[in-house]
Amino acid sequence: MLKIDLQYDWESFHANYCVDISPGVTTLLGGSGEGKSTLLHLLGGFLAGRGELFFNEESLLSLPAYERPISTLFQSDNLFPQLTVWQNVAIGLSPSLSLNSEQKAKIQWALEKTQLVDKKDRYPQALSGGQAQRVAIARALVRKKPILLLDEPFSALDPALREEMLYLVNEVTLELGLTTLLVSHLPQEASLVGGRVILIEQGCITAHEPVSVLSQIEPHPLFSRYLGVV
Amino acid sequence: MLSFRTVKRLLPALLGVVFFLLMGAASLAALLRYSELHSWLGYLQQPYLWRVVRFSLWQALLSSSISLLIAIPVASCLIHRQFYGRSALLQLFSVSMVVPTIVAILGLVVVYGRTGWLNQLFGVQVPLYGLVGILLAHVFFNMPLAVRLLLQGYDLIPSGQWRQASQLGFSRWAAFRWIEWHYMKKVLPGAFVLIFMLCFSSFAVVLSLGGGPKYSTLEVAIYQALRFDFDLNKASFLALLQVSICTLFAVIVYRIAPVNRQDVSLLAVKSYIIKDSFWAKSADFLALFCAFVLVIPPFLAIFDPIFSPVFLNTLQSVALWSAVLVSLKIAVPAALVSLLLGVSFGVLARFCMARQYFAFLPSKIEHLGNMILMVPGLVIATGLFLTLRDFGWGLRSSYWIVVWVNAVMALPFVLRALMPVMYQQERRFRNIYLSLGIQSWARWRLEWPLIRSSVAQAFGYALLLSLGDMGVIALFGSQGLVSLPLYLFQLIGSYQLEEGACVAVVLISLCLILFYCSSRFIGGVMVRVKN
Repeated sequence: MLKIDLQYDWESFHANYCVDISPGVTTLLGGSGEGKSTLLHLLGGFLAGRGELFFNEESLLSLPAYERPISTLFQSDNLFPQLTVWQNVAIGLSPSLSLNSEQKAKIQWALEKTQLVDKKDRYPQALSGGQAQRVAIARALVRKKPILLLDEPFSALDPALREEMLYLVNEVTLELGLTTLLVSHLPQEASLVGGRVILIEQGCITAHEPVSVLSQIEPHPLFSRYLGVV
Repeated sequence: MLSFRTVKRLLPALLGVVFFLLMGAASLAALLRYSELHSWLGYLQQPYLWRVVRFSLWQALLSSSISLLIAIPVASCLIHRQFYGRSALLQLFSVSMVVPTIVAILGLVVVYGRTGWLNQLFGVQVPLYGLVGILLAHVFFNMPLAVRLLLQGYDLIPSGQWRQASQLGFSRWAAFRWIEWHYMKKVLPGAFVLIFMLCFSSFAVVLSLGGGPKYSTLEVAIYQALRFDFDLNKASFLALLQVSICTLFAVIVYRIAPVNRQDVSLLAVKSYIIKDSFWAKSADFLALFCAFVLVIPPFLAIFDPIFSPVFLNTLQSVALWSAVLVSLKIAVPAALVSLLLGVSFGVLARFCMARQYFAFLPSKIEHLGNMILMVPGLVIATGLFLTLRDFGWGLRSSYWIVVWVNAVMALPFVLRALMPVMYQQERRFRNIYLSLGIQSWARWRLEWPLIRSSVAQAFGYALLLSLGDMGVIALFGSQGLVSLPLYLFQLIGSYQLEEGACVAVVLISLCLILFYCSSRFIGGVMVRVKN
């Protein structure tokens, strides 16, 4: 269980997130500039917030980014262009890239899972957008951190590929029992991955419901404005 | 290929570059006209000449290697650690390379000299006159320069990489090995060549600390040929030799330099915390300690005479203030000309960037601007003097020659400061500018907030270099044209060391004030872009 009670201020933007998130996929919906990414940066430890943050009774707030049980996929810049695909995955296990055979096997497994085995010696420049994000997923897989944060990592991909990636995320989440938070601006993505949805408006969480609310004939009152249905 | 309107828009920049080329060509032509090629073979057989060449190369190699070896850990430390006085140290680094040579030499003598601080405090005798002194002075000037050049390389690292490094728990060593070194490799060859050439053609340092013909460089030999023998033939032979050696070296290093692979994402830099350790702390401490020991004491030594009674007396002398005026009259126009030239080069280079027929040009244009480092300033000045004499201008032209040569000599530094940011702007926004039809002035207005700090740095460098010049002015200085460094040189020459030290304080204060004004009023307050 991820317990969030965080405040953050930046100029005239005041955020106050308060929610308990259970394992499985949760999609964060909300318009641009409402504070979705801010929440992810607070969780990842890239921004310093006030309040409380617990994961399975352990406080995360005072931990630096590299000690939090979290893997993050950003929209871009997930890979080091100076390292090969294999190195980019391996660096998630050992920053010095010195691996034992067990760890190497793990990387092989992750590359197979993300269908990247034949690309393992390529550099990120030689990959398509989808392949690059699959490398980032492979790294998250080998790191085995219980929380996975996704900051619109697939928004630059075409619909079919995006769907494929979301299935992969869903599969991985269920298989490894992760707590996955997916930031999205597309309600369809939430419906695809299932789980629950959270609505963020002006730095506050205004709704936390099962994903089925999005497909109801009579829209949920809180989501109707966001979905554009009057 | 190129429309008439495009050419018209680029015209000012083209004119700048063409003027630069014409002046260079004219002075070289004048020099060659006065040289007798048949006697050159004889020079080649003199063992003295080869000793000078060998020593020039050896000291330049040592100086640039030591400077870079210290600069690498120092740059990494400055990026990762916030400590009290960090920005002050960076400011000091930015001025230490443009501290007037003659002033720094004075500082070094006060610290390391026979009756210097080191001997008084610890009883350590340093053989200052000779290789050690030359190396100390060159590292004093160039290690801070190397740090700043490397920091520019760090600017190229996308913040996303630091973000990943932070989450993946990189140690400092891993971050250096996988991230920093990759980007450092791109700036290291350039930095090495630059520093090597600065040391290779070092003039005032070798003249005053060389301590005899055993430790002489080609540049000093050229000066002697011009000033004492007025032997244009020998001078142009030595100059040509100097140019050939530097060119050869530059070609080799650029050959082996890794290809500059460009990365797409360039976000505003934001610091992410990297895992710390005892070893990282120790290494940082050691690096900073070296930097402090080498750079700080000579600086402090310069300000030592403030407390002597001679100081106030010297401040009241007329000669001092007329020298200040002459220095300003040279430095400000020279810096402006240098900046104009730099912008011309920059605009032209980035226009050619990634355009089918011209894509090969930007690096060539940049090399053209840096070429001045291979050509001794004394030689250009002499060539220019001969050209202007043919037009009947004679000695009246001295002032303009000094201004122009100073401007041209500062150009490589101006380019170093300007080019990266100009290229970056072009890469990121070319398509937006193109699609919106934003050109010339409109574009400058939009870019100004983003590039002004670099422009200020460029202008500041040019200003300080011209202010402290002791090369051209030594050759052309006359009754009405005595700049502060020359005045200082004359005082030292007549053993008025205390007065000399006071003049040094005035000179360096002037440098600090002008550099501050430049970065304050041109650079403005840094604009923080939301990430």
